[in-house]
Amino acid sequence: MAPPPSIASLDCLMACYQQADPEAPAALIGALSPALLRFFRTQDLMSREQADDLLQETWLRIHRVRHTYRPGQPVLPWVYAIARRVRVDGYRRIRRIRAHEIATEMLPESRPRFETRNSVPAFETLVAVLPEAQREVVTMLKAGGLSLEEVARATSCTVGAVKQKASRAYERLRRLLQEEKNELP
Amino acid sequence: MNCRDVERSLIEHEKSGAARLPARVQKHMLTCDRCREFMRALNPSIMADASAPEILRQLEDTLTAGLRPVRPLAPARYLFAAFAVIFILIVAAGVYRLGAAGISVMSPGQSIAMLCALSASAGLLVYSLVHQMAPGSQHRISPARLPVAVIALLALLMTGLFQFQPERNFWGTGLACLRAGGPFALLAAVPFWLLLRRGAGLSPRVTGAAAGLLAGLVTTSAQEIYCPILDASHILTWHLGVALLGASIGLAAGFAAEAAGKRLRPAHR
Repeated sequence: MAPPPSIASLDCLMACYQQADPEAPAALIGALSPALLRFFRTQDLMSREQADDLLQETWLRIHRVRHTYRPGQPVLPWVYAIARRVRVDGYRRIRRIRAHEIATEMLPESRPRFETRNSVPAFETLVAVLPEAQREVVTMLKAGGLSLEEVARATSCTVGAVKQKASRAYERLRRLLQEEKNELP
Repeated sequence: MNCRDVERSLIEHEKSGAARLPARVQKHMLTCDRCREFMRALNPSIMADASAPEILRQLEDTLTAGLRPVRPLAPARYLFAAFAVIFILIVAAGVYRLGAAGISVMSPGQSIAMLCALSASAGLLVYSLVHQMAPGSQHRISPARLPVAVIALLALLMTGLFQFQPERNFWGTGLACLRAGGPFALLAAVPFWLLLRRGAGLSPRVTGAAAGLLAGLVTTSAQEIYCPILDASHILTWHLGVALLGASIGLAAGFAAEAAGKRLRPAHR
């Protein structure tokens, strides 16, 4: 398996994309889509299909506003700021659809089953207990590989606010893990 | 080092963006099951999340089809200068057309305080708008809170600087003041909107409120320089009221754009 591209190569790829290099979109999609998909799936307990839809919508929006990326600036906050907006719009759309079609086939999805990976809860299950803002920060930090400053840029917050959310989230997750462990026979 | 220190180190590590955890954290993890488990739980396996290959291929085809080079957005300082020049030129046009009777009746302290406050407010709004145009920009002040803070601070300042006096013809003079200054806000809104179209406009309602407020402040500034009435209720209602109205119209336009699923489309092609 090829290693994921470095931050510097993402910058280069983005610059190539702006210059209409036909190889650049495929490379960017390959490098960023898994983490973006994880970002969508951990938020609002979306189904795989809904997350795929949002991923496609994100790439289309990235394509439309690709000129707003300034070469030399970090790519990840730019991408996640767009993905975050797509998620908000998607969430509103899903909520509207559910409100109208609740009696038919669009019943709310059940919470994901508690999955474990070698006795450790799966990432989605673990972060699902967090408030939305903390979940978003932890997912960007851990699944997206963003630094605190990059998360602050992506969420239009200060670094201090992100640090506080991350700290509270870790504290809560550690407590939860401990409780889970204590409950095991 | 204890488990709590590991959490703190983890946040510091994320701040630095370094690839490996510090050696003392790794050493602690060798002996602490709880921290090891905690770290394992927080390391998702990304590769398990790949989309179906056909979806990715379809996306690649869509993005590659008709791919054309684009000119990156101008540096923030150029956009800042463009907004500032438009603001100053339209205020200057307003003063040229209406006169500067207001400045001559205000005390030097009132003039300096009002002009500095209006310039600072406009500067902050321009800074925020320029950063909203490029996603992932660093915001030192929340873009959603800034318009509210600007209006509140200006209202406080105006209340502190001017006295409430009984005015004989509140509505008549107010409407005349509005008729004289109002068109300048409309005049400013057009170039502001044209500039904003270059950006991504991810949150139309926030961008709309800030842009509307900025356009409204053009009128407020021109009125402060031109209007000789120093009654606080007149200034709050007919001068600051225009800025508030501008922000409300911008916000409503943003809501409408969001509801219609429209975005401020880029004009890069």
